[in-house]
Amino acid sequence: MNAPQLDMAAIAPLAFAAFGALFVLLGEVWLTRRRTNEHFINAALSVLSISFLGLSVYCAGAAFSDGTTRVFDPANPMLSLDRFAAYSIALIGIASLLICFASISYLPQVGINHGEYYALLLLSTAGMFLLVGATDLMALFLGLELMSIPLYVMAGFDRRNLRSNESAFKYFLVGSFASAILLYGIALVYGVTGSLGFDAIRAGFPPGNPIGIVGLGLLVVGFAFKVASAPFHQWAPDVYEGAPTSVTAYMAITVKVAAFAALLRLLTQAFGPVTASLSDLFWVLAALTIVVGNVMAVIQTNLKRLLAYSSIAHAGYLLIGFATGTVEGYGAVLFYLLVYVFTNLGAFAVLMALAQGGRDCDTLDDLAGLARQRPGLAALLTLFALSLAGIPGTAGFVAKFFVFESAVASGQTVLAIIGVLGSVVSFYYYLRLPVQMYMSEAATETPRRHAATGELLVLAVCAVVVLFLGFFPSHAPGVLGAVRALEWARSSVAMLY
Amino acid sequence: MSAPAVFFYLFGAAAVVSALAMVLNVRNTVAAAMSLVVTMISLAVVYVTLEAHLVAALQILVYAGAIVVVFLFVVMLLNLRRDTFAPSRQLLTKGAGVVLALGVAGAFLQLVPQALPTVQEIPPDFGSYAAVGRTLYRDFVLPFEVTSFLLLAAIVGAVVLAKRRLD
Repeated sequence: MNAPQLDMAAIAPLAFAAFGALFVLLGEVWLTRRRTNEHFINAALSVLSISFLGLSVYCAGAAFSDGTTRVFDPANPMLSLDRFAAYSIALIGIASLLICFASISYLPQVGINHGEYYALLLLSTAGMFLLVGATDLMALFLGLELMSIPLYVMAGFDRRNLRSNESAFKYFLVGSFASAILLYGIALVYGVTGSLGFDAIRAGFPPGNPIGIVGLGLLVVGFAFKVASAPFHQWAPDVYEGAPTSVTAYMAITVKVAAFAALLRLLTQAFGPVTASLSDLFWVLAALTIVVGNVMAVIQTNLKRLLAYSSIAHAGYLLIGFATGTVEGYGAVLFYLLVYVFTNLGAFAVLMALAQGGRDCDTLDDLAGLARQRPGLAALLTLFALSLAGIPGTAGFVAKFFVFESAVASGQTVLAIIGVLGSVVSFYYYLRLPVQMYMSEAATETPRRHAATGELLVLAVCAVVVLFLGFFPSHAPGVLGAVRALEWARSSVAMLY
Repeated sequence: MSAPAVFFYLFGAAAVVSALAMVLNVRNTVAAAMSLVVTMISLAVVYVTLEAHLVAALQILVYAGAIVVVFLFVVMLLNLRRDTFAPSRQLLTKGAGVVLALGVAGAFLQLVPQALPTVQEIPPDFGSYAAVGRTLYRDFVLPFEVTSFLLLAAIVGAVVLAKRRLD
């Protein structure tokens, strides 16, 4: 019996994140024996996590520029590191890494600086890395669970806060339910094709088989739960509101990237030709999600709930790309995810920088008078709100433009119009943030803390990306603009076919 | 009909009946949990008739043993009373559940025979410990290792949420 030929380079990003979690767990024990300063331990563990995530991102970047496909076990392919996986891993890795930076000062401010936070974050990130690289339904499901289980715990990380407990419990129940639906879909697909690998499913999927179609539908519904698309979105506002802000940011940003990327790979690689029949389903999901997300966001007064509905609306715009079912549409989705990561991360980082004295900054009233006390933070939050709304000159506009353009090009004009109208509604609630910051004064003035180095770094990175992609969409030689990034996204999608 | 086939259908029916008993026994949670034990054991017998001996042993150890004990603990801790589940609130839910369950069952009875692929012959060493070990550590080494990280995440999570003091 010969040993299997394993390509360890294919699991390098996953392994760095997973083993990083072990080092963090051990490091916490080792440090608490020697140091008593909690802030030092927290910062040291954060830096440890950042270095492991940095290694993952480096491996993904190398794999992306290399452009070859590495399969972990060619005899039994379950995980591959190709251009598409590398693009998604780099995006998720950078987002997690920046959240670690911002958490250094946020966790002590709200009194939850326990080292397990970073271990859970790394484990969840490892799950996402597996999810986006999975080419087998078993690996896909394990990735999804490894992503979700640490997230349930992180949502309840503020143990003394009832809202946080509620958030964790709701997320756990809905998440388990979604996993069960997905698993049922996997079982049905396995039933009709007799295999779990994407390539084998593609080869053996009988087109007219009703059980297969039901299985595919259940898979899509399971993912719709995870990305909080209407009508499977009701959990998101409650969960986002109750969780600590850094966890909300992590859930809203990385989970969406991982779940959308995995769905994209599943549809193109495993169900290729069958996917066209899902176009109407995605049309309905996209239209419903855009309308529900934008309309419900208008009446929110809690900032985290507002951003939750805003992220639901963004899931709707992303689903437009799925409704087109073309390479251009999927490429626009990947580019949109890139912009979504930096814009949302920026907005959440401002909220994290405003948390102090055990309290999150989470209502619109908390923003009153911010422009006078902290003009820099107010200006940055305005920039990110404008980018979320999609004002020209910001990355958000370019991202929406590419998605709507791909929709029109594939004949989905009505859907593009719904998207544009949704964006118009969204101006109203995004502009409430600057109005509150610049035009109203707080009833009682509490002195605000200065933003910490980690938070400033995150804000700087996000602001640079948002402005740069917004101002330089052109294709000048040697210049890294939005068109270039879109080309990266398209080439990542094109290799899936 | 051969002896394994008789056992297969007998315990298959027992699994379905006890599963129904579990769902319908809303008032008495302990009886529902005990019906679950019967379901688990019947399934284990079904696995034995299908030559999957290791899975049958694991089924008894993990499901009929560990998991049901956890269920009973939860039932004990919650200290549910009979009137916790008032029948009036559940009438609509029950009705909708029965209709949906019958609909799904009907659809599947109609669809399954025409849609399933032909079943392959199983290899002679199927279900043996050696075959399971080879499958786990060679073909499925990645899912196996990922599962261990999944369990680690669950353990760390349980400690984080339930430990009295986190310092």
